[in-house]
Amino acid sequence: MGPLIPNGIIPEDWNYIIAILIGFAFGYILEASGFSSSRKLAGVFYGYDFAVLKVFFTSAVVAVIGLYYMDYLNWVDISQLFVQPTYLWAAIIGGMIMGVGFLAGGFCPGTSLCAVAIGKIDGIVFTLGLTIGIFIFSESFSALEPLFESSNLGNITLVDSLGISPYWIIFIFTIIALVAFYFSDWVRSKVKKVFY
Amino acid sequence: MSKKYKLKRLLVRRYQILAAILFILAAGLVLLPKYKKNEGIAPDQFVKNIISSERYISTDLLADRLVNQDPTVLLIDTRSEQEFNDYALPNAINIPLKDLLNEDFDGYINQDVYDIILYSNENFYADQAWIISSRLGYTNLYVLKGGLNEWFDTIINPKLPDETMPQEAFDLYSFRKAAGMYFGVGMVKSEVKKVTKSKPVKKVVTIKKKKKRVPEGGC
Repeated sequence: MGPLIPNGIIPEDWNYIIAILIGFAFGYILEASGFSSSRKLAGVFYGYDFAVLKVFFTSAVVAVIGLYYMDYLNWVDISQLFVQPTYLWAAIIGGMIMGVGFLAGGFCPGTSLCAVAIGKIDGIVFTLGLTIGIFIFSESFSALEPLFESSNLGNITLVDSLGISPYWIIFIFTIIALVAFYFSDWVRSKVKKVFY
Repeated sequence: MSKKYKLKRLLVRRYQILAAILFILAAGLVLLPKYKKNEGIAPDQFVKNIISSERYISTDLLADRLVNQDPTVLLIDTRSEQEFNDYALPNAINIPLKDLLNEDFDGYINQDVYDIILYSNENFYADQAWIISSRLGYTNLYVLKGGLNEWFDTIINPKLPDETMPQEAFDLYSFRKAAGMYFGVGMVKSEVKKVTKSKPVKKVVTIKKKKKRVPEGGC
């Protein structure tokens, strides 16, 4: 049956409207989880708050379990879903830059916009910096292009590269998530409380 | 009071309970009995397509489209190569039934640009090819009703209608006669031989890759 839009159950024209509605919901959840506070976001690096890890890990696990149950029941065809292609080195380097920016600025791109929406000054400064970064990247794209487009491994997933059944990967992933949650709580109990 | 107390005790353990639910659901995925998924379209849709008479095209309609040089027609001959070389409709491509799922031919059958018309001597091979490919979800497939036998009976060698028959029958007869001439009936014999012996030109179908939309965004 699904995915709904590619299979014509929902007309293609609704694409952007649904995207906007999901965007609203995403922004609301980010704000409701307290992710528009840079102190909360940076807490995961210092060990006094693991909300980021818990929220994103939980959402990933819930989504993947839900999707595979829907696939099992023939509600969604997993093979029709788009898999983002893996550009290995570009992802590693980009991830490192993103990590430094995250730690130094206390926001990731999405949450910075949330912070702007509630009028946080640090969020506005971060977004300005983000825009300058986008400008520099776009202007120097011709120089970065070889890196940007190299080491393309295609639309692979762990199922393809490890050759294990997706169900086992999900099960192991869930256990890793639960262990990570327990471990993060343990770390938090050891670290000095920070008031923010 | 005790009810409230029970709820409170439950809420204290809420994270353990949620973690247990997550674990059970993930384990459920591993333990569920696996089954092989059918490829292609759903069975009810498949049956609907099979019983629909729209999947047939009559020889008259095909002749009309060929005479008018309809560029969307793609004829596919499902008989063996030997039979194909002996006689084939103009511009047909030979894809024997046993090679239907051969990857080389996938680009011809799995497309949405041409109206593909499958034919064989009778309906049988073409019908089988139709069923196999439409089960896989391929579209724009038609079967030439009656196949080449019907083609010979109607277009190449049409029967003169009785005098008592209505005007339409005579119109149809004259159309068939004219179409037959277009396909080479009544020419000098040696010339006819030349036409039938020449290898039909292969139509080139560009294999269109299905576009994948790239989603954007992140956290």
